[in-house]
Amino acid sequence: MPGFRDLLPSEAEAMRAVQECVLAEMRRWGYRFVVTSTLESLDVFARGLAADQQRRLFKLTDADGALLAVVGERTIPVARLAAGQLRGAPLPLRLCYSGPVLSNDGGRFASRRESQQVGAELIGAGGPVADAEVIALAVRCLDAAGLRRYQVDVGHSEFFQGLLDGLKLGSELKAQIRSALAARDLVGLERTLAETPLRSAEHELLLRFPALRGGPEILDAAGELVRNRRSERALGELRRVFELLAAHGLGATLQIDLGAIRDFDYYTGVIFEGFGPELGRPLAQGGRYDGLLARFGRPAPATGFVVHLDLVGEVLARSDHPPALPRLDAAVAWSAPGLESALRIGSSLRRFGMRAVVDTEARSQAAARAWRDVVGARHLLYCAGAPSVTWQPAGQRARRLPAEQAVARLAGARA
Amino acid sequence: MTVTIALPTGNIQGPGLALLARADLIKVTPQQLGRRLLVESGGLRLVVVRPADVPAYVEHGAADLGIVGKDQLWEAGRGQGLYELLDLRTNACRLVIAVPEKSPLQGPESWPPTLRVATKYVRATSAYMESLGQAVDLVRLHGSVELAPQVGLVDAISDLTETGNTLRENRLRIVAVIGESTTRLIANQVSLKTRAGEVQDIVRRLRGAVESAD
Repeated sequence: MPGFRDLLPSEAEAMRAVQECVLAEMRRWGYRFVVTSTLESLDVFARGLAADQQRRLFKLTDADGALLAVVGERTIPVARLAAGQLRGAPLPLRLCYSGPVLSNDGGRFASRRESQQVGAELIGAGGPVADAEVIALAVRCLDAAGLRRYQVDVGHSEFFQGLLDGLKLGSELKAQIRSALAARDLVGLERTLAETPLRSAEHELLLRFPALRGGPEILDAAGELVRNRRSERALGELRRVFELLAAHGLGATLQIDLGAIRDFDYYTGVIFEGFGPELGRPLAQGGRYDGLLARFGRPAPATGFVVHLDLVGEVLARSDHPPALPRLDAAVAWSAPGLESALRIGSSLRRFGMRAVVDTEARSQAAARAWRDVVGARHLLYCAGAPSVTWQPAGQRARRLPAEQAVARLAGARA
Repeated sequence: MTVTIALPTGNIQGPGLALLARADLIKVTPQQLGRRLLVESGGLRLVVVRPADVPAYVEHGAADLGIVGKDQLWEAGRGQGLYELLDLRTNACRLVIAVPEKSPLQGPESWPPTLRVATKYVRATSAYMESLGQAVDLVRLHGSVELAPQVGLVDAISDLTETGNTLRENRLRIVAVIGESTTRLIANQVSLKTRAGEVQDIVRRLRGAVESAD
C-alpha cells in the first residue's frame, strides 16, 4: 500500500535502538512514559488541528456511528490525558511517549503516511526556564540517538505576530501577508507589501524572513528595528532562553531563527527545529502551545517536541558509520545425543546476557559451520553428546572443552 | 560546500542559464550543456530535470535551490518544505480558460452549472473553479489540449499561453485568467539553514541579475 512499509530487521532494530536511547534520555530528565490510544474521537483532534490537518487524518466510524480518527499526532492526546485522567496530578507534568502516527500526505507527493515518533511534553510550566529545559532535552535526545552533525534553530512565534500587529494595514492585506508567510512565499509577500504605502524597518524585517538567522547577536540587531511590544517581548524571552541554554551546557549547536514560520494558530511562544545536514526535512520539531490545554478544560501553559525516528534513522543509515545489525553472540548446534546439552548451554549463555540461538535440527559439524554463517553469530558451539563441546570463534580454529568452560570463556570474551 | 540547483529542461532553461551567467554563478550555454544532466563548476552543481520534477528535487533536499515556473508550483501544491525566494521574471505566461470562438460562453457568470474543462493543470484549475463556486468536469489531457473543445470533448480548456498565438490559431478565445506565472527561485527549508551563507549569496547575486535586466 503506498505510503506504508514494513521494516526489515536491520532497519527495525536500528530504529528500535534509537527509540530506546531517546526514551531513556527523556526518563533521565524525569519524564514519565505514557501510552495513548491508537484511535481517538475525531472531536479530540478537532480541538487542536486546523481544518486542512484534520482532513488528512484517517477516519472511521464505530458501531454507534461515532466518528473516530487514527492517531495523527500525539501531543493532542497527551493534552487530553493531562486535562482528563491526570487532572488531579500536580503541575508541571513531564510526560513522554512513542509510537506510530498516521495521516495522509498533503497530496503533494506520494510520501509516507505512517511514521514513528518519540515525543516529550512539559505541561503546566510557562516561561523561559521550561522552554530551555525542553530545548536542551531535545538536543540531548538527538545526541542520544547517535547523531553527530546537527543543529537546532530556535525562534519565537510571537515575533512575527507582533510585526503583523504593528503593520497599519487593513485586515484583508494582513491576511494575505499571513498566508504568504505561512506558504513561505517570499515573492507573494514582497508583492503584497509593495502595494502598501508604508515603508518601515518592520517591513524590511518581514521581507528578510528567510535570512533572519544567527547567533544571539541578531537579537540585538532585531531589537533595534522592532517597534512593538509583542515582538520585543519575544526577543527578550529568546535572549533569556539562550542564557539558560548556555547554563545547560549548550551553545554551538544552537542558532536563532527569527524567521521560523510554523503553524500560527497552534504555537504561542518559543519554537524550535532540529536539522541534519544530509536531509531536507527537520528531524525534531517542537515549541510552546499555551492554548491547547484550555480546550480540554484545564488551562495550562505547555511546551514539548517530537523526534521523527524514521528521519533520524535515514540520517544514521547515510552516515560514515551506519548502525549495523547487532550480531548474535553464539550459535549452538548439536547432533542427536547433544540436544539437551545444547539447550542447557543456550540458557546459560542467555543468563549471562548473550544472544544465543540453538538450532532446531541436528547437523553435522561441517553443516553447523555453514549454519553459523547464515545466522551471523560470532561463536559456534557444537554439542555431540559428550560432556565436552566444540567451540569455534569466527575465523579461528575449533577446540574441545567442557561445556561450562565454554560458557565461561564466551562470557569472559564478551566482557 | 557545493550548492545544487535544479534546472528544468525546456524553455525555462535558456533564460535560467543566462541569469546564472549574468549573476556570475556558473557560465554554461544550453549548447555546452547539451544532453548532460549534471554540471559542476565553482562550488555549484546544476542538475537538469523535467520542469514538473523541480519541486520534488528541492522539497526532498536533493537540490538546495530550484528554478521553476510558478505554474509548476501551482500544480505541485504547497508543501511546508519549500520556500519561494525570488521572482526571476522570465518566461511570463498566463494560465487561462479559453473557449472556441463560436462558443456562446463568456466570463464565469455565463458558464453552465457544470463546466466541462480539459487541461494539463488539474490542480490549479480545480482550485480556481472552487474559488468561484463553479462545478466542473475536469478531463486531464497530456497534450494538444486545444483540440478538445473543437471535437466536443469539453466546453473549455485551461492552458498556459505566452502570446495567445496558439490559442488564436486554434480559434480559441480567452474568457478568464486563472493566474500569471513567471519563473521563480525556490529553496529547500533545510538548505536555507544548513547552507545559509552560500544560499543567501546566490539569492543576492540572482536578485542583482534580475534587477539589472529590467
